[in-house]
Amino acid sequence: MAMHFIFSDEVVLLFDFWSVHTPAGMAISVLVVLLLAVLYESLKVGKARLLHQALMSLSIPTSQQLIEETDQDSSSDSLPDSRSHLRWFLCHFGQSLLHIAQVVIGYFMMLAVMSYNTWIFFGVVLGSGVGYYLAYPLLSMT
Amino acid sequence: MDHSAQMGMSTHMGMSDMNHSSTMAPSQHHTTSSGSHGSMMMMPMSFYFGFKKVEVLFSGLMINTAGEMAGAFVAVFLLAMFYEGLKIARESLLRKSQVSIRYNSMPVPGPNGTILMETHKTVGQQMLSFPHLLQTVLHIIQVVISYFLMLIFMTYNGYLCIAVAAGAGTGYFLFSWKKAVVVDITEHCH
Repeated sequence: MAMHFIFSDEVVLLFDFWSVHTPAGMAISVLVVLLLAVLYESLKVGKARLLHQALMSLSIPTSQQLIEETDQDSSSDSLPDSRSHLRWFLCHFGQSLLHIAQVVIGYFMMLAVMSYNTWIFFGVVLGSGVGYYLAYPLLSMT
Repeated sequence: MDHSAQMGMSTHMGMSDMNHSSTMAPSQHHTTSSGSHGSMMMMPMSFYFGFKKVEVLFSGLMINTAGEMAGAFVAVFLLAMFYEGLKIARESLLRKSQVSIRYNSMPVPGPNGTILMETHKTVGQQMLSFPHLLQTVLHIIQVVISYFLMLIFMTYNGYLCIAVAAGAGTGYFLFSWKKAVVVDITEHCH
C-alpha cells in the first residue's frame, strides 16, 4: 500500500466489487463519497434534534430554551408518565440507531481516505463542508 | 506471487477472486516487498469475512479458529461499549467538578450613551486539582481506546467491524440516556 497521496484513476474502495478503472468511474466514486460525507454531517444534526425532542418530551428545558425564555416563569407541567416515557424511549432508540449509522459511516470515510487517493480525499473533505453548510441551519430550527 | 500474498485475505466470494487479483495487481505491485516483519500477509483493502490468520492489533494476537473469532467479537464489542461509557462518564465528571466560578464585569456602551456592566461567568477547573488530573488520565485512556478501535476497523475484517459498530450502538443506548446537554457536534468521527 502506498503511504503517500497519489493522483490516480484506479482505486479499490471499501469493497471488492467497488473497483475503479476509468475517469468516469472515479468521478462517480468521488460523488458517492461526497454524498456519504453529506449524510454523515446530517446524521449528527439529526441526532441532536432527536435529543432535543427527547428532552422536550420530558419537559426538561434545554439550554436553547433557557436562553430564549423571557422574564415570566415557565411553568413546567408534566405530561402523563406512560406516554412521555414511551416517547422518550422511542427518541432514545432512534438516537442509538443514528449513532450506529454515524459510527459506521465515519469509519467508512476513514477507510476511504486511507486509500490515499487524492480525488477521494477531496471528495470527503468537500462533502464534509457541503454537509455542514446544508445541515447546520436545520439545527436551530425547532 | 500475488496468490500467495493473498493467502491471508479469505474472501467468501470465490468467483470474484480472479478479477479481484487482476484489479488489485496494478495498484498494489509492491505489497510483497513491504510486508510486516513477522507475517507474510498484505493488508486487505476491502471488506472480507473470515477467521483464519486474522492479526488483531498486536503481533501475538492471531485468530485462527471460529471459537477465537467469537471471543474476539465479544472482546471488541465490550471495548466499544466501554468507550461509549467512558465518554459519558467523563462528561458527567466534568459537570460535577465544575464548582469554581469566576465572575468578571466589564463596562460596555449601551443605548443612549449609557454605560452597562456586562458580567462574564466562567466555570473551570484548576490545573493541579484532582478532578483535572483524573480527567487527563481518562482522556489518555479514551484516546488510546479510540485509536485501538480505529485500528481494529482497519483490519477490514467483517466480523470485527460489525462488533465495533454494534458495541458502539449498544454502549450509546445503555449509557447516554442521562445525557442532558446537546451533543457537541464539532467532535470529529464521534
